[in-house]
Amino acid sequence: MLKKINLKNKIALVTGAGKGLGKACSIALAEAGAKVIILSRTKSDLIKVSKIIKKTKGSCKAFVCDVTNVQEFKNILKKISRLDILVNNAGNNRPEHFTKVKRENMEYLTNLNMKAAFNVAQLCSQKMVKAKNRKRIGGSIIHMSSQLGKVGCEGRNVYNMNKFGIEGLARGMAVELAPYNIRVNTVCPTFVETPMVKKFFKNKKFKKQMLSNIPLGRVAKESDVATAVAFLAGETSEMITGTSLVVDGGWTAK
Amino acid sequence: MSFFLKKINLKGKTTLITGATKGLGRGTAQAIAEAGGDVIAIGRNQSELNSLGKIIKKLRVKYTSFNCDVNNFNRIKSFISKLKKLDILVNNAGTNIPESFLNVKKSSLETLLDVNTKSAFNIAQLCANQIIRLKRKQGSIINISSIFGLVAGQKRTVYSMTKFGVEGLTKGMALDLAKHNIRVNSVCPNIVLTPRTKKYFADKKYNKYVKENTPIHKVVTVSDVATAVTFLASDASSMITGSSVVIDGGWTAK
Repeated sequence: MLKKINLKNKIALVTGAGKGLGKACSIALAEAGAKVIILSRTKSDLIKVSKIIKKTKGSCKAFVCDVTNVQEFKNILKKISRLDILVNNAGNNRPEHFTKVKRENMEYLTNLNMKAAFNVAQLCSQKMVKAKNRKRIGGSIIHMSSQLGKVGCEGRNVYNMNKFGIEGLARGMAVELAPYNIRVNTVCPTFVETPMVKKFFKNKKFKKQMLSNIPLGRVAKESDVATAVAFLAGETSEMITGTSLVVDGGWTAK
Repeated sequence: MSFFLKKINLKGKTTLITGATKGLGRGTAQAIAEAGGDVIAIGRNQSELNSLGKIIKKLRVKYTSFNCDVNNFNRIKSFISKLKKLDILVNNAGTNIPESFLNVKKSSLETLLDVNTKSAFNIAQLCANQIIRLKRKQGSIINISSIFGLVAGQKRTVYSMTKFGVEGLTKGMALDLAKHNIRVNSVCPNIVLTPRTKKYFADKKYNKYVKENTPIHKVVTVSDVATAVTFLASDASSMITGSSVVIDGGWTAK
């Protein structure tokens, strides 16, 4: 009756895999038995993640790649025989008050969080539907969204725009890829103990204010999000598509 | 060695399940036991409680059953307040009487409100209080909701009213219980093939309606739902609260 999180014989690609959530997801998927293809702009980060994956007796392949470079990403896909799971994770944030948002920051974030996310998802989907047995073995695409894909927050207007967009993209993709038995979902974490968030939390006032918005009174751990991604990646979530797994300690329940 | 993948493990935890004799409740009881958790089953049919016990005990976990109607507040209260162990509630007992809005009988309305709303509330409150009284320091409550807690369906006005209500209750409970580290979530399945829904699926038109509205084009199984419930019951979801896991093959993504 209980399906186990087991990704043996699955090939997963994770973008933004060098640090934070992408790193955690890559390792968790490998722990669940998947072969993982990890992408990051930073070679030294990829080496570190590969080492951890090998320690867990998992298997991985690493490629240096800037996901905003479509040609670079296409070339990597050509080197991969098959793809079953995509964790569309690469993303960034530059908090600014709406009236002060610099045009270059808006463009940088939108190019990465939306345009690159779309391109990566489309290219991977094209590869996934080509597998002849896709309908039988299924596929899973998980977009790294955010609680800010569900609700607004001060200084996060561009990020809100990007992540609400990803929520819409996920639903549209879910409907269109369902005939191929490829499921598409998002994970919406609250603030997670990542290098990116640790930087924001140096501001004590901000940290206090954010924690007071999380009913459980704590930030998420990388493993909380990575486990949710692993749950969505395989047959444990066989009938879950076009929806979000909200890992936010109650932030958006208010 | 596990770095980022949390296991779905309920060893040492006790779960109370209402409506445990049939369908989703029965499957969930089994899944909980497969994850190593002890089971307390509440249902109205003694022989089915006994046969469930035989299955559960084979999994080497403790099994307690209580033959009681969830509407019988006094008996339920006295039973729950005497429990020595309780960590998890699967608030499952529920029913449906499909009638078009103009023809809903007063008796149907009252039956559904009694079971799906009032009893669900009472049992959740009694269990939350008992978990706190036992000083368990953490807990998880899963309300069995439905896609009709998110969207409407034909001849489902009363059912939707009760399940939308359960969605609201879930979020409210999550906020009030967060300080006790009791998480509260719902699962929203599409129409699952169970003894109760078998008669609906026998109708060809209904069968077609369900398939056409489910992009993934499969019927949700009891195992799909039981797995999601067990995930929410376990520490694998320790930052998920006030949220819903939608298991609908894309029904509500459209």
